[in-house]
Amino acid sequence: MSLNSTELLDQFILESRECLERVGQRLLDVEKAPQDADLLNDLFRQVHTLKGNCGLFEFKALELVVHAGEDVLDRIRNGRLSYNASIADALLEAMDYTASLIDVIEADGALPEGTQDRARLLAAALRDHLGEPVAAPAAGRTEALTPVAPLPAPDWSNALPAEWRQPGRVLVRYVPEATCFFKGEDPWHLARTAPGLLHLDVRPNTPWPEGDQFDCYACNLDLRLVSEAPLAEVEAHFRYVPEQVDHWHVPEQPAPAQPTTPATAPVATHAPAPHTDLLNARLQQVWDDQCRLLARTGISAGTVAAVRQTLTNLLVCRDDHALASQAHTALQGLAPGPVPLAQWAQQYHPDGHGQAHPPGSPPPAMAQPPRRSATHPTPEDGGTERGQKVLKVSQDKIDRLMELIGEMVVAKNALPYLATRAESLFGQRELAREIKTQYSVINRIAEDMQHAIMQVRMLPVGIIFQRFGRLVRDLSKKLGKDVSLVIEGEDTEADKNVIESLADPLIHILRNSLDHGLETPEVRLAAGKPAQGTLRVAARQEGDRVMLTISDDGTGIDTDRVRLKAVERGLIPADRASSLTDPEAVQLVFLPGFSTSDAISDLSGRGVGMDVVRNAVERINGQVELESVRGQGTTVRLTLPLSMAVTNVMMIEAGERRFGVPMDLIVETVRVPAEDVHHFKRAQTTVLRGRIVPLRALSDLLGLESAPRLNEDGELAVLVVRLGSENVGLLVDNFHGTSDIILKPLEGVLTGITGFAGTALMGDGSVLMILNPKELV
Amino acid sequence: MKNILVVDDAATVRMYHRKMLGDAGWHVEEAVNGLEALERVMNQPPDQPFDLYVVDINMPKMDGYTFVRELRRLPHAAQAPVLMVSTEAQSQDALAAEEAGANGYLIKPARPQGLVLTAALMLGDVQVARRSADAQSLQGVRA
Repeated sequence: MSLNSTELLDQFILESRECLERVGQRLLDVEKAPQDADLLNDLFRQVHTLKGNCGLFEFKALELVVHAGEDVLDRIRNGRLSYNASIADALLEAMDYTASLIDVIEADGALPEGTQDRARLLAAALRDHLGEPVAAPAAGRTEALTPVAPLPAPDWSNALPAEWRQPGRVLVRYVPEATCFFKGEDPWHLARTAPGLLHLDVRPNTPWPEGDQFDCYACNLDLRLVSEAPLAEVEAHFRYVPEQVDHWHVPEQPAPAQPTTPATAPVATHAPAPHTDLLNARLQQVWDDQCRLLARTGISAGTVAAVRQTLTNLLVCRDDHALASQAHTALQGLAPGPVPLAQWAQQYHPDGHGQAHPPGSPPPAMAQPPRRSATHPTPEDGGTERGQKVLKVSQDKIDRLMELIGEMVVAKNALPYLATRAESLFGQRELAREIKTQYSVINRIAEDMQHAIMQVRMLPVGIIFQRFGRLVRDLSKKLGKDVSLVIEGEDTEADKNVIESLADPLIHILRNSLDHGLETPEVRLAAGKPAQGTLRVAARQEGDRVMLTISDDGTGIDTDRVRLKAVERGLIPADRASSLTDPEAVQLVFLPGFSTSDAISDLSGRGVGMDVVRNAVERINGQVELESVRGQGTTVRLTLPLSMAVTNVMMIEAGERRFGVPMDLIVETVRVPAEDVHHFKRAQTTVLRGRIVPLRALSDLLGLESAPRLNEDGELAVLVVRLGSENVGLLVDNFHGTSDIILKPLEGVLTGITGFAGTALMGDGSVLMILNPKELV
Repeated sequence: MKNILVVDDAATVRMYHRKMLGDAGWHVEEAVNGLEALERVMNQPPDQPFDLYVVDINMPKMDGYTFVRELRRLPHAAQAPVLMVSTEAQSQDALAAEEAGANGYLIKPARPQGLVLTAALMLGDVQVARRSADAQSLQGVRA
């Protein structure tokens, strides 16, 4: 069939993902408000849509799971089943699996053979809830999820040596997520410590990439192990990563032939027949449908008219034209209203076996137009609720547009140079002026265009917040803590890239709060706090920055322990540690390699600390601030740019060369008289606005052989930049204007060079090196 | 050319129906829920009315049943047949569809030929009906 066209499949994948995302969100919402009928209906509808779509393709595994989910939700929606945490778990697990199947479908266009087994298990787990009566839970019914028939061996297990696969053993395939290291998981350790481990086979999940593309933070393992421990023990061992694990219990006897899956067969059945028979049979069915419709009491005039129209159309499709036109005339001559039409339609058999009875008094032509209904056809909200027309565009296309406009912004900068050349080189002053006029027009259009495209890329931060509900729920459960997640300002918008690069740091901060910050209910009660901890994630826009605040009301950071650790790890000298104030000591956690956790915890060990968070945030020109009050909680504040597509830089001159410095980092530019520069030993400082600012010569930092130049008035040009919480003055030769640039990171052999954020192509074709003062100073 | 309005909240299903019905040679338009469909019907130029509505049941804002009831109150658009297509396999759904005034009911996923043949019959498009019936007899009809 031509139905599995790629276009339809793409649409299916896109829509399925949307549904799944919404389902995940709604499931968590419903947990908070299990009585909310609107929520439940929306949840049901999403799964319903998903199932309907699955039916268009032959994805049996997918349909099995989704169908079971739909049935459960239908019961809940109708109040015949009460929503509880175990149903929520089963649904979440089923939807996670569904999402993974969608990924497989996207990659391969089909589902591999083995997927139905897991699907059947999940569907069974869901359907298990259907058997429960609504009010009273069945007494003592705690049946385990054991399938009736042994499952056939999954494909992957066949790749294992035959002697491993002995009856009674459990075969496990564990494919850790690429991002598992960031979740504090240790796949190797987990696999090695599996109960009853007999064999362990490790291979890369995908072929190892070339050296320069190797990402040491991405897990790329496919672990297969054989255990002689009971299945339940193995399952318990992998309970934190069930979605990454597939296991198979080798049956005592050889597995029987795979039972055929119950197909959702269409209800209408037709016997194979020559086309005329088929056509007539279907025609008769539709005709009968119309008769039944007419026989209903209270049928509306509009429906009668529609039935009349349908019957007329059906007659057109009759084989026998003479009979058809005869019947047509008869139909046309009927009196209005359902009764005569019903009588006629009942007696007339379109397949030719019956005869129509012409009516006695033929009224003129067609039936009267149906009576105008007194009620207004439009519902009250019909006018205002006009749905916004939404166009879905793939991300690639937007990225391409963004790239093009980036090039355009740069290319338009060539015009001023051209104007200057026209004037100075060719003496065409008039032409130069015209070029400048044109430039200002193009400049304005380009800026508008850039702004408009950037708007397209703006996404609400709620998109990443959505994941947190699940994360907090799962982790707090795992840790035995009671945590309520409060999300504020999820509508705040920021550029897609900013939002995407935020996800990992945010998850890390949340994990820290859950793991180290928030206490268990007992500890909290003992400290006089409410048993339930609060984790607050708030977003708001301030000017052209987005502010994100993640705060908890947990135990706060133990500054004494932080000082101790920092000294122990040799990060700072002991005398300095003791002289730090508490707020200063808190900042030590940002030092690379810092981790206070004594035992590497299940969640946030692994040495991925706050320094990683800070680096990730600074990479997108953001800042992190940390505040913590012992016993009261911790607050992390992230300040981020709305967009990072275009960087505004100031051009400066040092050692006869031009460099760019990102405007985000620049505090001010000042001219300082040479006599106001103070020398202490080899360091130079000056006083600006009552504060001492250390000065560094940019040419020294870059290893250029020239001292900073004084201008005619004997002043030095000082560019004050912000480095973390400190200001530093860079001595340069001169300031030039600012420019919007597209920052390209250093690539290839230049990758390792420190001190530079990247390069930018200027309008005159030259390359401007963009400094990274943080690395320089 | 015959004008069909496909009403379904699932974009994939809309695309599928558009393909099936469009390939049969009819003009297909789409609406994502009953409310939008009603608006479309009311704003449709009187000389190009819809000749058939292919309608889903469970949709946000306004479901298929309500749509049919409201549609049948509109003076100029009421005559076109309504074909309900839904995944609800229970007989009460078919009955509810009938009660709302739908002229036919198919279970989703409607097999392409089943959908096209029924649509052709309801539209009175004898050529497409024959072609579709031919194609089905050639294929051998799946039960």
